[in-house]
Amino acid sequence: MLSIPVEMKKISLTMMDADAQRAALTLARMTILHPVEDSQNEQQLPEFPATPYFDVYHSLYTKFSKITGFVTEVFREPTDFTQLVTLEQLQEMDAQLKSLWALVSNVEEQLRQNHEKMLSTRQLIKSLHKFDSLDLDLSRLKRSSRFLKIMVGTVPSVNFSRLEKALSLAEFMIRTFYTGEGVQHVVMIGSSQQQTDVHELLKSADFRELVIPEEFSGNPSRLRLDLNNQLSDLEIEIKALNKKSSELLSSIMPTLQKSKDLLILAKPYASLATVLKGQGGLVFMQGWIPADSEKIIKKQLENELQFPFHMKLNNPEIKELESVPSLLRHSWIFKPFQSLVSNFGIPNYAEVDPTVLFSFSYILMFGMMFGDVGHGAVIALGSLIFWKRFPSVTIIAVLAGLSSIGFGFVYGSLFGYEHILTPLWMSPMHDPVLVLLLALVWGAFFLVISNLLAIRNYLVVGLTQQAFYSGKGIAGLLFYLAALFSGYQLMKHGQFGVLEMLSLFLPMAVIMRYQWKQTSAGFFEKALVVLIETLEQIISSVSGTLSFLRVAAFSLNHIALAAAVFSIAAMMGTTGHWITIVLGNIFIIVLEGAIVAIQCLRLEYYEGFSRFFSGKGKAFEPLKL
Amino acid sequence: MSSFSSAYLSTRLSIFSNHLIDFDFLTELFGLDLEQILKRVEMLTGHNYSLDAKGAGSIENQLANTAFNDFQLLIRPFSGRERRFFFYAIRWFELVNLKVLIRGKFSKTENSIIQQQLIDLGDFAELPLNKLLDTEDTHEMLRLLETTAYSGIVRQARQVYEEHGNDLFLLDATIDRSFFISLKQRLQALDNQDTTQVTQVMGVLLDRFNLLWLLRYRFSYKLSPAKSYYLLTASGRILHSANLMRLAKMDSVEEVLSELPESLQKKLSGLKTICEIETALEYSTLAVASKVLNQTNLISRFFAYIILREAETRFLQALIKGKQLGFDDELIKQAVVGIK
Repeated sequence: MLSIPVEMKKISLTMMDADAQRAALTLARMTILHPVEDSQNEQQLPEFPATPYFDVYHSLYTKFSKITGFVTEVFREPTDFTQLVTLEQLQEMDAQLKSLWALVSNVEEQLRQNHEKMLSTRQLIKSLHKFDSLDLDLSRLKRSSRFLKIMVGTVPSVNFSRLEKALSLAEFMIRTFYTGEGVQHVVMIGSSQQQTDVHELLKSADFRELVIPEEFSGNPSRLRLDLNNQLSDLEIEIKALNKKSSELLSSIMPTLQKSKDLLILAKPYASLATVLKGQGGLVFMQGWIPADSEKIIKKQLENELQFPFHMKLNNPEIKELESVPSLLRHSWIFKPFQSLVSNFGIPNYAEVDPTVLFSFSYILMFGMMFGDVGHGAVIALGSLIFWKRFPSVTIIAVLAGLSSIGFGFVYGSLFGYEHILTPLWMSPMHDPVLVLLLALVWGAFFLVISNLLAIRNYLVVGLTQQAFYSGKGIAGLLFYLAALFSGYQLMKHGQFGVLEMLSLFLPMAVIMRYQWKQTSAGFFEKALVVLIETLEQIISSVSGTLSFLRVAAFSLNHIALAAAVFSIAAMMGTTGHWITIVLGNIFIIVLEGAIVAIQCLRLEYYEGFSRFFSGKGKAFEPLKL
Repeated sequence: MSSFSSAYLSTRLSIFSNHLIDFDFLTELFGLDLEQILKRVEMLTGHNYSLDAKGAGSIENQLANTAFNDFQLLIRPFSGRERRFFFYAIRWFELVNLKVLIRGKFSKTENSIIQQQLIDLGDFAELPLNKLLDTEDTHEMLRLLETTAYSGIVRQARQVYEEHGNDLFLLDATIDRSFFISLKQRLQALDNQDTTQVTQVMGVLLDRFNLLWLLRYRFSYKLSPAKSYYLLTASGRILHSANLMRLAKMDSVEEVLSELPESLQKKLSGLKTICEIETALEYSTLAVASKVLNQTNLISRFFAYIILREAETRFLQALIKGKQLGFDDELIKQAVVGIK
């Protein structure tokens, strides 16, 4: 039921520089080494031999990613994973991709320019719409003279107001004759002497001039025809560029495939850029490996490396425990629950991995809160539809459905009907107080287990004082048990005597004393902190236990909801009755099912995990291809 | 904002404001060596900085990161438009990265050198710095920039690149201008009741920007009055549109100064160079911000704090960098605080 992350050993590998890449590739194939940087030997090992390799790898990877951003074809995986990639090969490919990217980028830039021209031309065509109805002789607008300059065009609306004022400084007048989407279509008139200054200003304001060629002295429709022709030309050009781009990409696919192969095989060694240190042809690296893989690693390296190497393995020291990565190994059935645990955090290496405990308690609580043979069956079978798309969700849903079926038999409930099945125990509605009481017992059990796990975690990492004296330690556990005992005595026998008082006071005194020692502040501040912490300890014990009442509350709620559906159905005719029953049951399955799933998760995270699980561990991230 | 959040913000602002280094005191740091400067800074601000780290952990980044962490705490109680306004205001720091990046790429500087000058903005970052650094040429960088929150400046950047080559002061001004315009728009979108004092600080900032760039455009770049006026940003506190239009027509720095509204003229009287005017305007802005910092409106106080903290960070970064490069104290002093 309880598991801990896989036992790890620290591996220190010293080898010849010439073998480093081979070692990296071998270890990556095995996906067995979590490399770590070594900060201790910086003076003795000042060189980072993989850094130049990484730089070229990164450069190549960047170019490859940029080019393949335009590629839709799928790359195949390399067939031989033993090939070493030299720095020269990477450099050569990097140079090739550099020139290829220049070609692709050039086409992209041309496309951008053409799209911009198209946008501009479309705006100008819109401008012409206004002249259409006027049947104006455009040559009049072109009639700029020695003293007068006339311009027609568009300007972004955001720039208009400032441009208007700026133009007035150059003795130019601007008027809008049409407002489009974010663009003003304008005509300007002013002194020809100022036109150089104005030209500069207009460029800054992103003014696009409607150039009226000499030959268009007639009406605007001729000019529009010309602009439409320009637009068509641009569209053809864009099509041609797109075609050019796809032909280019197709022609370079073999090179890209080769780059992909090189990148896959080069990745392991490049990933060690900051890990691998060396001097004078010798290199050193460190990492964490699962303890049970020691022999296989040694054997593989002996087979693969050309020169002798030295491999040293150490158990993690207590001071290192926080930095050891956590590798969690679970069977397929627990994997989906592992993801839910990871949502809260990765277990620290020394911590208990709560996945299995979580799985059982989650499924159990779901069944308790949503016990119904029919609803459970619908959830279990219905979720199978999603097996291919969401396998993890399906596993959880099937198990939750089965648990619901199990508790459905216990409660004797089938699609809300309480009289069809004979309950193995009883329907929660028959004795709600007993059900509530049982929920409290379950909650107390859950919290005691959480407390025990917290104590275990403290002891493993050497936090002995915390394990014995803190609120989450043995003192806290004793206080909680004393509170349960006192509560029981008070409810059952109506007594709260010296024994109860002492059993509560003594562990509380220990906790307060511990907190006093841990707090570094002035007397009054210390007193305040201890007082608040003590209150928090009492309140969290009570509220944590009461929180589990929801387990009973939801089992009652389930029956109440079904009763409500039946009441509404009873008011209908035969057809309406069955429609209401079906829709009501769907409503219960979807809405209440989702709420119960969330409530279970809430109980696990906040009442369980927060008491014993830091979730501050590091995931085991092996070197891989 | 709830009364609890107001109390939280007010307390935090008071604590952080007490840790701001007084600008008169900053000048005392010039005579000290690096270790002494850091000790003094630690004593005054409570922040400990290390000289050893490089790259992302460099002293420049440490200073900026400490400021961002504090901003993050202060921004927490805000929501909606106010939150968006402050997030945008803090983006002022990112403009430094944007300018470094554009300058670096335009001048074909090596990526490693550009990278050294970039500041890690953590959660406040909008720019995909690594992707931008990995671009092969200017056009590619500009295309990528078009997909970011800074797409608005790309057109101008292209124009500057195509027409002015490596003369990028114009681009700096374009970036600043679009930032201030957007910031003012966000400010105007806030509830009127809250914006009186912020508008005051903002107005001083805009006046500073407009006057300085007007002088530069007209007398350093020799641009026409029309274009000079067009390139300015939104109207400020004293220098409204009409003032700026009139000033743009002047033919010398002296003429511009003599035509300024009286309050501004007083502050700048006797100054001759644009550098001197820049320093005087900066101190004037900081003085207004310091005054607002002690007032009651929380939005204004936070905005003033951002301005003061930005100036302090910039000052310390320049001072420490100057010391690290072994520059003469007088030279650093001149570069950092100008001639006061």
